Amino acid sequence: MKKINPIQKYFLTMGSMLRTNIRDYGMYIALGVIFIVFSIMTGGNFLKPNNFTNLLNQTAYVSVLAVGMTLVIVTRQIDLSVGYLGAFLGAYVVVAVEVNGQSIITAVIAALIITIFVGFVKGFLVAKIKIPAFVVTLAGMFIFKGFLMLKTNNRTIPTSNSFFNKIGVGYLTENTVGTVDTLTAIVGAILIILLIVFGIYKRFKNKRLGIPLEKIELFVTKTIIMSGLIFFIAYTLSRFRGISFLLLITAVIVVIYHIFTTQTVLGRRIYAVGGNPEAAELSGISVEKILIIVFISMGILALFSGVMYASMLQNTSPNHGPFWELYAIAAAYIGGTSANGGVGKVVNAFIGSVVIMSLKNGMALAAVNSNIEPIVLGSVLLLAVIFDVYTRNVRGADMIGMHYAKREYRKEFRAAKENLLKAKHALNAAKAKEKKEVIETYKVKFDQLKKQQTERNKLANKKSLRDLKQEFKREKEANSPEIIELEYQYTSALGEYNRIKDTIRSATEDDYILTKKVTN
Amino acid sequence: MQKNKILEMRAITKTFPGVKALDEVDLYVDEGEIHFIVGENGAGKSTLMKVLSGIYHHGTYSGDVVFDGRIQHFHGIKDSVNAGIVIINQELALFPDLSVYENIFVGHEKTISNQFMDWAMTKKLATKYLDMVGLKKVDMYDHVGMYGVGVQQLVEIAKALSQNVKLLILDEPTAALNEDDSANLLKLIVDLKKKGITSIMISHKLKEVEAIADSLTVLRDGKVICRMDKEQINEQEIIKHMVGREISDIFPKRPKFEGDEVVFETVHYNAFDTNKNRYVVSNSNIKVKKGEVVGIAGLMGAGRTELALSIFGNSRNYKKSGSTVVFGKVVNLSTPSKAIREGIAYVSEDRKRDGLILGEDIGQNITISDLKKISRSGFLNFPKQSIQAEKYVKDLNIKTPSIFQKAKNLSGGNQQKVQVAKWLFAEPRILILDEPTRGIDVGAKYEIYTIINQLVANGMSIIMISSELPEIMGMCDRVYVIAEGVQTAEFNIEDATPEKILAKATL
Repeated sequence: MKKINPIQKYFLTMGSMLRTNIRDYGMYIALGVIFIVFSIMTGGNFLKPNNFTNLLNQTAYVSVLAVGMTLVIVTRQIDLSVGYLGAFLGAYVVVAVEVNGQSIITAVIAALIITIFVGFVKGFLVAKIKIPAFVVTLAGMFIFKGFLMLKTNNRTIPTSNSFFNKIGVGYLTENTVGTVDTLTAIVGAILIILLIVFGIYKRFKNKRLGIPLEKIELFVTKTIIMSGLIFFIAYTLSRFRGISFLLLITAVIVVIYHIFTTQTVLGRRIYAVGGNPEAAELSGISVEKILIIVFISMGILALFSGVMYASMLQNTSPNHGPFWELYAIAAAYIGGTSANGGVGKVVNAFIGSVVIMSLKNGMALAAVNSNIEPIVLGSVLLLAVIFDVYTRNVRGADMIGMHYAKREYRKEFRAAKENLLKAKHALNAAKAKEKKEVIETYKVKFDQLKKQQTERNKLANKKSLRDLKQEFKREKEANSPEIIELEYQYTSALGEYNRIKDTIRSATEDDYILTKKVTN
Repeated sequence: MQKNKILEMRAITKTFPGVKALDEVDLYVDEGEIHFIVGENGAGKSTLMKVLSGIYHHGTYSGDVVFDGRIQHFHGIKDSVNAGIVIINQELALFPDLSVYENIFVGHEKTISNQFMDWAMTKKLATKYLDMVGLKKVDMYDHVGMYGVGVQQLVEIAKALSQNVKLLILDEPTAALNEDDSANLLKLIVDLKKKGITSIMISHKLKEVEAIADSLTVLRDGKVICRMDKEQINEQEIIKHMVGREISDIFPKRPKFEGDEVVFETVHYNAFDTNKNRYVVSNSNIKVKKGEVVGIAGLMGAGRTELALSIFGNSRNYKKSGSTVVFGKVVNLSTPSKAIREGIAYVSEDRKRDGLILGEDIGQNITISDLKKISRSGFLNFPKQSIQAEKYVKDLNIKTPSIFQKAKNLSGGNQQKVQVAKWLFAEPRILILDEPTRGIDVGAKYEIYTIINQLVANGMSIIMISSELPEIMGMCDRVYVIAEGVQTAEFNIEDATPEKILAKATL
């Protein structure tokens, strides 16, 4: 067989990689589709610098919640209280500063102590007292709503302190050269350089340690796409006002949590606890401790979220808070977090939150009827979870191997298919014939019975009619040895057909290259 | 050469409310030995190991655990692991969504400055330990959940080795493994012995005991019956000590079977497992007659449960070919409900996992196979449910304080009876029993055999899957032998001997 040319190889490799890693790449693709669709629907306004910046700013408060929620869901828990908790904490800080004249630092530290305490209590109730997290946090939701209303005294309190101003609507620098914010441009350039350098360095390091490398085509494509993405984001942002503080805070939190969950012992133990809590306990990990830590972490992120939201809106009010946690949960699930625990990346949850907020932002911008918005959001979430379930057990397919195998087995596959159809027809024909025979035989019998029946003994007539009917039913369903034999032939033809199909599907490129079945 | 006793358990006694689980148990193991603990279920083997591994804290039992020359006060598994004792249970303690190399070090991770994962060291050491258990080909980057039980168990042993284990305890290690994996495991234990690691194996499989044991202890009803050294080890002797009576009066008598009516057949029947990528049932052609007990013999992993599961509704989604013929009708038994409607019932091999709802009471468990019988217009009739429960408790002699007792609180034998009752409630005409007396004491076994005899006398047909040859010989009218998915032999029971069956059990 001839070896495939490099262009074919490239596309087939990318195809295989896509199929194998569909769970990770799926949401990026979804995001891309959403961006394109809304760009079209809004005549290009969706991706314009000012809207794009707004989009990221609006996402910020949900993203940080989504990051924390990922860990909660990974450990097989849920937290329904973070909306009102976050809103309350935001209100606490605002009131402390605006109304009571405290300094920002004092207010934030006080709020931090409160949220750590709350997180500890939640974790304690769930882990030690063994009350389901759903109930505990549902109760929390009501309780914090009350505290929010108390704190705001049921009125809206505007923020005037420059801190809130800076965080909510401020940007890193306002230094422009031409129409481009310089800092953003520099940051973008640095990130791209880091991406490329780090990627190459890691590749060399892995090669030295003997760790399997990802295919070069994938590495180059990924690097190019990521660089393009960074460039696009940096360029778009720089043409408006650059990097906002909201975006900066979000980015820092995502990075910290990414490192935490992939590089620290504590972070890895969280995944162990989520994947198999009994085994974790047997391995010497305190599941209770981990759960408490996860709830405290969620609380701290709720604090960030609350302050960011109040800053963004430049006020605090008793109306803040509803649905925040639901967006965070949806974001986590869209990001591929598993409901069974043990699986879920924080970076993906961040992307999930961008997906959700893009939908909201895009629909608003395209003047879609606002009543449709929750319908769309709910449907997207459902699709994401269905997608997650269906791709759970997808085995990677080596499309290059499949390509070669399809050629190798072309004749056999065609023959098997023909065989299968032949057997199917033979079986159906025989079944139909037998059925017809039985019906005819029994039609005669039924007529005979009718003639024999006398008027007098109606009961006996009914009985013998019923018996004949039952006998007819049985005979209809019973199968002659001939049918059984044809059935066997059909199913073995089916088996052979499936066998070849599976052989093709599980073929790998190495099968053909290494055994020299393929030549240049 | 003076042998060094690495472990000595002296006069261990442990009581639970109403039950003395361990009664003055003395056990000792020499360093570098492979020691087996043998006994029926309920004999106290697991309890003893829980004392040894620290799951039962020091202070909750009387007597001493002397390990490495010192009396140990274990409070939890961490203490025993630190001392060098690692226990591997039948339910493996692995994390399916984490990679193989990460799994080995969970709980005792390799770190940089105590907080950060040292992935390089983790991967390097993981390769070393995987190599030691013979798993070189395993891709350690894959999630451990992708591999079968055989590989997973070896990963668990690699985990033990990474914790510098001195005494390795394995609880029924080959129970879930096929022939190849079992042989592999036993060879590994012998290899580890050469490396100076002492092993305690809890096992029912007397062939394994004869193969690799240096010594063994027999437990019965919480007491040590005897200790045997290698020269004394003999299967008959062990059975006698385990059971306490001769094997011959274990099976109730039944009249010789005579009958013709075929109620169930498989014709050129195959089942292909796409996950394992092989045929688990290959060209099966069995016939079952009305009122007959047909045995399916073979080694563990031969494909008998797979045959049963694929017949009973194919819950494992095998790709089937060939036909199943029920009362003369070719039927595609595509779901368990379909199979039940055709009159087939299946009593699962693993009653706790697949057969019972442990948290529910006896009545719920029994009636769940056909709730329509005790409900009207969709509403359950609880008095009717209780009546049924009482009926089966009486008929099957289920020992329980009340019918509202939760299934998890019953003993193994009684749990099995509840499972059987559940299927009898569905009034099947063909009953498939998968290892019906596994993990049950001798008395309860006899009762279940009596029940089987009564059922066939009333016209039911029974397919009995069993790994215990005496049970096959004592209870079946005909036997099919399966080896690696292939049907290798059919015997009338008069023509069969354990040796003939065993000979056909391997390809």
